[in-house]
Amino acid sequence: MAFIERASPAVKQILLKLYCAEKPMEIDHHLYEFGSVEYHIQSQASNPQVAYLSISMPPLCHGVLPNELSSNTIEMVKGLCPNVVEIAEPAKEGYLLTLKLNLNQIPHKKDYDKVIKEISTVHSVIQSSQLKEILCNVNSDDAFQGMYKPIKLVYHPREPFFLIRQPQRILAVFPIRFKEESDVIIATAFFQELVDVGSSDKWAKAPPCNWSAIPPPELRGEALEDLNTNGGFFTFEIFSRHVEGNRLDKTVWNLLNFNAFVRYHVKSTKGFIQRRMRKRLESLVEVLYQTNSEENEQPKQNQVCRYTKKLVRSTKYVAVKQRWGTFGRKVKRIRFRLKIHGFTRFRQRWLSFPKFSKGYTKIE
Amino acid sequence: MANTLRLYLTCIRNTLEAAMCLQNFPCQEVERHNKPEVELKSSPELLLNPVLICRNEAEKCLIETSINSLRISLKVKQADELENILTKKFLRFLSMRAEAFQVLRRKPVQGYDISFLITNYHCEEMQKHKLIDFIVQFMEDIDKEISELKMSVNTRGRLVATEFLKQFI
Repeated sequence: MAFIERASPAVKQILLKLYCAEKPMEIDHHLYEFGSVEYHIQSQASNPQVAYLSISMPPLCHGVLPNELSSNTIEMVKGLCPNVVEIAEPAKEGYLLTLKLNLNQIPHKKDYDKVIKEISTVHSVIQSSQLKEILCNVNSDDAFQGMYKPIKLVYHPREPFFLIRQPQRILAVFPIRFKEESDVIIATAFFQELVDVGSSDKWAKAPPCNWSAIPPPELRGEALEDLNTNGGFFTFEIFSRHVEGNRLDKTVWNLLNFNAFVRYHVKSTKGFIQRRMRKRLESLVEVLYQTNSEENEQPKQNQVCRYTKKLVRSTKYVAVKQRWGTFGRKVKRIRFRLKIHGFTRFRQRWLSFPKFSKGYTKIE
Repeated sequence: MANTLRLYLTCIRNTLEAAMCLQNFPCQEVERHNKPEVELKSSPELLLNPVLICRNEAEKCLIETSINSLRISLKVKQADELENILTKKFLRFLSMRAEAFQVLRRKPVQGYDISFLITNYHCEEMQKHKLIDFIVQFMEDIDKEISELKMSVNTRGRLVATEFLKQFI
């Protein structure tokens, strides 16, 4: 999921700005993401080498996990960039965690961008580690024997999903909701393809998945508002082989962002349909304009021919007229041997025939 | 082309050829006005009997004729929900750009997906047989485009699903 960035773009931009500033900067920014995640970035001009990044967010699931960060999560945050990141104790008031960033420890060459990007992933690291803790206990049936109560997880507000422990496996159930009916249909078509592809032998290693329009029986007893969907329920079955080694991180990230992935697919499919329709419109209109243009072409061609003929005729006509003009003048001179001064003008004025207009109407 | 579709389109073509003999006719209600009688329907003597051509229940074509105008309404087949939204989207997209087509009606007749209104002026500006060709070609293209769109959306979904599952491995 290359399009879903782990790093927060706003935090990354501010930290880069702070790091690349030529003069010491005073920064005190409050940022909000996903409606419920709050960042506070603070740096003082008197001490430009140090910045504080505080983060506050609701827990991934209420009740099951403690409100404070577990030791595993803290270790993972520390592991982001051990030289640069320190955890400030206690955290700022109203925040879950405060990180002290030693900006002078960030390498000055090419890698500084990578380090800052890594620090900006703090939110996804905390959320992922919480889900990892749940998934790592896939096989620990002893502690939860007989307790298959669904755990409600909220990564993005308004898009909760459920984890249900079962013997040897964990079910991840995603209730799907969309505002528009067309989105539901595109998403449903995608789910059918996903189930179809997932059930083939080639993808036997991927978690088996299933889609149903009605809530699965495991969610019986949950709040009605959580079960009220228009896009049905999509279920992944997570086995221990899906959370081994490097796969754990991938599985966690895919589950956390499944809703966002589906929404992105729906959005891009709508864009694809729109582009295709626009292209098709042009070709449909072309057919209609061909009917117009073909009709208009014939008289145009005739006009062109007539015009060229006129041009040819006019040059000949002018030459002949010039020749006959000189000849006529010579004849006149022969006729009027006596030259009377001003007679020509008199003849033109009084002895010429009146000219009638050339315009006439043809009577058919 | 399927044999049934060919018959359906031939029937529409023949009906249109017979119906498209339009002439200029001033409005009888309002002086110095010239309105498409098929829309007004104020004078029954100027209207011909409408012709309904059905391929099946989901696909039909209504041809309403009057002395100076002709209205063609089409209902396009929609086999499933995806085809339904694709047809709605596409025909709405075309209706919104009706000015590009000249003969396309902005709002379809009730019970149909898309409507055309051809007046005697259109017949004077364009050739009659070319207009009929356009309508028949349009019907063919719409069917083809919607089935192609459906296939593309499903293929796209399949590719995205494969990419998603790849990340688990």
